[in-house]
Formats: sequence, structure tokens, C-alpha cells
Amino acid sequence: MRTILILIKKEFLQVFRNPLLLSILIVAPMVQFMIFPFCADYEIKVLDIAFIDNDHSKISHDIIHSFDASDIFVSHGNLANKQEAEEMMKHDKIDIVIEIPNHFEQQLLNREKTNIAITANAINTTKAGIGVGYTQEIIGTCLQDFSMQHIVVDPNQIPASVNLSYIYWYNEQMNYQNLIVPGILVILVTLIGCYVTALNLVREKEIGTIEQVNVTPIRRWQFLIGKMIPFWILGMAEFILGLVIMKLMFGINVQGSIPMLLGITSIYLLVMLGLGFFISAVSENQLQAMFIVLFLFIVFVLLSGLFTPTEGMPQWARYINYLNPMSFYMEVIKKVVLKGSEFVSVQRETIVLSVMAVIVNVGAILSYQDRTK
Amino acid sequence: MNSIEVEHLTKKFGDFIAVDDISFQVREGEIFGFLGANGAGKTTAIKMMSGLLRPTSGTAVVAGYDVLTQSKFIKRNIGYMSQRFSLYNDLTVFENMQLFGTIYKIPRRELKNRIMQSLEQLDMTKQANLLVSSIPLGWKQKLAFATAILHKPKIVFLDEPTSGVDPIVRREFWNLIYQTASTGVTILVTTHYMDEAEYCHRVSIMADGKIRLLGTPEELKRQVGVNTINDVFVAYVKH
Repeated sequence: MRTILILIKKEFLQVFRNPLLLSILIVAPMVQFMIFPFCADYEIKVLDIAFIDNDHSKISHDIIHSFDASDIFVSHGNLANKQEAEEMMKHDKIDIVIEIPNHFEQQLLNREKTNIAITANAINTTKAGIGVGYTQEIIGTCLQDFSMQHIVVDPNQIPASVNLSYIYWYNEQMNYQNLIVPGILVILVTLIGCYVTALNLVREKEIGTIEQVNVTPIRRWQFLIGKMIPFWILGMAEFILGLVIMKLMFGINVQGSIPMLLGITSIYLLVMLGLGFFISAVSENQLQAMFIVLFLFIVFVLLSGLFTPTEGMPQWARYINYLNPMSFYMEVIKKVVLKGSEFVSVQRETIVLSVMAVIVNVGAILSYQDRTK
Repeated sequence: MNSIEVEHLTKKFGDFIAVDDISFQVREGEIFGFLGANGAGKTTAIKMMSGLLRPTSGTAVVAGYDVLTQSKFIKRNIGYMSQRFSLYNDLTVFENMQLFGTIYKIPRRELKNRIMQSLEQLDMTKQANLLVSSIPLGWKQKLAFATAILHKPKIVFLDEPTSGVDPIVRREFWNLIYQTASTGVTILVTTHYMDEAEYCHRVSIMADGKIRLLGTPEELKRQVGVNTINDVFVAYVKH
């Protein structure tokens, strides 16, 4: 016990004497919170649109004007022809072109089949998809108004009009920040847990201090626990700091139970700490450890469901995800922070993370050799 | 009685034989010198004896325990000073001694007394609360030695303890070694300063992983027919 306490003391002394590490621990979450939510944002705020109006009728003018009324669209007016539209799209001046054909209004009045061409720049697929969606909605409304006014309908054949209204649950404003900000918490905890510990232990290897420890009668598990507890405390402190920033900067409150969230976070931290130690046991220097962590980190993040929903991934990727602690933890964060879920609905994730914590840490202790071959 | 008994100890790294079938004994309270050029296998041999490296074949009994099966007991009874300074630079002198003393389970109050005594002996009482990174190399080496013997081990392994320090500190360092040996502690020291070999009770000269010569400094000089250990060394290592 005394041995472990003195090791914890040693680790904290070292952390607090390392101004670089300290400032990273404090500044990193701030910066991430300040930058990330604003750049990793799928909301579309501006869509540049232009028209090729071959009809010059009342309805075509109505359509064009209704885009002016929208907040999202910036209209670049009427273009002469397709070549001009193509040129503008090539230079990223416009995102969407709407082409209204000749005799459009006439065809409508005659109830003939007619076409409006919507062309979207799909380099940014999200933008194109959302843009086309909005466009259809606006044109749809115009056409509906037009037909109400001009097309005489048989009173017995009133077209069924369906009103679709949307409510996005758990994120009512469709605010991407509500999703990405809790995601940053996950990234923070992962980085502290895995990255900082892996580098710390491998650094002792590099500068040779670990040899002086290995020549003492200390047990492997004592040494690892003496490393783990300080970084576990740092990780939890970092997480709580993150929660506070999340509330102050973005006004996001944890909907579920905070003690439960802290509990599951501490289990996830154990997984990451163990992984960090495992990585440092198999690498010889900080550079190697860094590459391994970076590789795993990118795989974890991309598969985690932070940027893309896991449900949309191919089956094999979903199988890999069963090994990805981050995706389970991300699920917990989403459910507890945004939905306010009870323990029952994160039970599965908690069990999986606990099992992972045990496996990874046993692996770390076994792979840490106090005597080299 | 023998503190260290080494028999046919061998270490191979792939095809390279770092230590090639060495055998020797070190008596209790003896200062035993390990001489040899860089890469002769001294450090590898010490690491095997102190339980940091697993031998490929052969065995060694250190403080009465087998290195192959009882390294835990060995570790309690030895002190080790690595070739590369390996105390924590970002801890103070006192904190380093406290850390290692506690790991060796020296009772709290006793530990404090021993640290104070030891610092006094080193004339480093004023530096107790300085970060190790801020003290000169010579002092670092003395500190490393003091830390290695804090738990009163039966055997101390010193791997090139004086490389890179000035002649005055080297002299002080050897005084410390003598003082420690006089209390019955066995010292196994590697060096490539030939004048230091003269201070040892017995020396062995290693080359290419093998022990070429072993005896008191006087015996070796007589055997080779030269006046200094330096000449013995040159004669044997240059072969």
C-alpha cells in the first residue's frame, strides 16, 4: 500500500512539474471545445443558387422569388444558358441550378407532364442532398399555390393534401453542436487515457528510469496501479472540466444521471489506460507509441459514430466496431447526455466496457516485462 | 563465503554472443572489478546477475538465490546503479531517495534518518530539495550510489559509476565504495579506467564476451610481466 501511495505521489509531482503537460491538459479541452463544434458542422447555412428561366412566365417568376424569401438561399439571378451555369458551378460560385423549361406554365395549365431540372454540386454530398431537399420543398409549395389558384378542380376531386411536420427528438433544433460537443468529451477522455499514459510509460523506458524500478523487488501490478491511479484521476478531472465547459459554452446539460455517467466514464478510462500501457509495453520509444496510438485513435473515432451513424456502416465495419470501446462509450454519452437514458438502456454498453477493461488490463500486466529476454 | 557464483553464464542476442560462457566467484565483502573495452559484455553480465535480463544458458547464484528462479529474492538483496543515470530528473534529491527507499519497504521514520545520514555523508544536505536535473553529473552519480545502498543490500552492482565525472569526484566515489565494502557489502564494479582497477581486490578482464584474465591486480601484472593494469589491459584486449 505504501509502495502504491509513494508511486502515486511521484507521478503527481512529475505531472505538476511538467508545465507543458499541464497546459495541454487544461488548454486542450478548451481549444477543442472552441474550435471543433464550429468546423465539424453539417448544418448548411448558405446555398448559392441560380436559375435558367426559359419560360418567363408568372409561375417561373414566382418560383424564383420564393427563393429570395428564404434565409438559406442566396440567389444569383437568371443565367443566360447552361454553359454559364456550368462555368459558375465550376468556380464554386453556385451550388444549385434550377432550369425551368419553355412553356412550363402552359404545360401546367394543360395538365401536361413537365420537368424542372435541379442540378446540384455534389462535391459536398451533404450540402447537395440538403440543398436539393430544400429546393424541392420550395418549388413544391409554389406549384401547390399555383394549382390552387389557376387550375379549376372538380369539387369532388379535391387533391388530398398531406402536411408533413417534423420534430427531431433529442436534438430539436437539429443542432449539430448537440451531437459533436458530447463527442468531444469522448475524444478528451480517450486522449488522456490512452495517449498520455502510453507516452508516459514509454518515456520511462526511453530515459532508463524504468530500469532502476525494475531492479527493485516491486511487483508488476504495483507499478502499473501506481501509474494507473494518477492518470485515472487526471482523466476524470478532465472529463468533469469538459462537462463544465459544455454547460457554460453551449448550455448543454446532462439529461441523465451524472453519477452514472461518471461511473461509466471511469470504466471507459480504465480500458483506455490499460490500452495505453499495453501500447507502451510493446513499443520501444515514444515515436512508436505515438504512431500506434494515432492509428488506433483514427480507427476508433471514424467507427465510433461521432461523424457518421454506425447504422449506416457496412456489416464488416459493424463487426469491427464490436472491438471498438469508443463506439460503446459514444453510445453511452449520446444516450445519457442527450436522451437522459436510465441505466437499463446503457447496461449492455457498461458490461461490454467492463469486460474490455479487465481483458486489456490483464494483457497490459502480462505484457509488461520486468526482465527482458 | 561466496556472494556471487557464476557458472557458464551465456547470453546470445540472435547470432551475437554478448556473454560467452563465463564462470567466476566473488567473495563476501570483496570489491570485484569488471574490466573490458566497450561492448565486451560487462553490462550484459551485470544485468543477468541483477535479474534484469534472462540468461540464454548457464546460471548464477547471487546472495544465495538462483537468478533463473529466485530473482525476486535477489532483488531484495542487491543494489544496482545503471550505466546510464536513471533516477528521476524531475524529482528532488530527497524525493528520489524517499521513492526508492519506500519501494524497498524501509519503515518511514527509519528511512528519513537514513536519507539524512546519507546526504550528510555525501555532503549534499543543502541540495536535498533541489531537482535532480539541476545538480552536476558528479553529484548525480554519488546520489545514485547512495540511493542504491539505502536499503542496505548485501551486494551492489555498479555499472561504470564514474564514467564522465571529474578526477576529484572519482576519488570521492571510490572512498564511498571503500566505506561501503568495509561494512561487509560485496561490490561488483565495471569500469574502463585502469587506475580504478588498482583499487579493486580482484579484477577480471573481459573481451568479446569471455573472461580472459582473473586475479588480484598484483597477480595479473606479474602474470603478464608489466607494471600497470593499463599495460595488462592493452596486452590482452588488443590481441
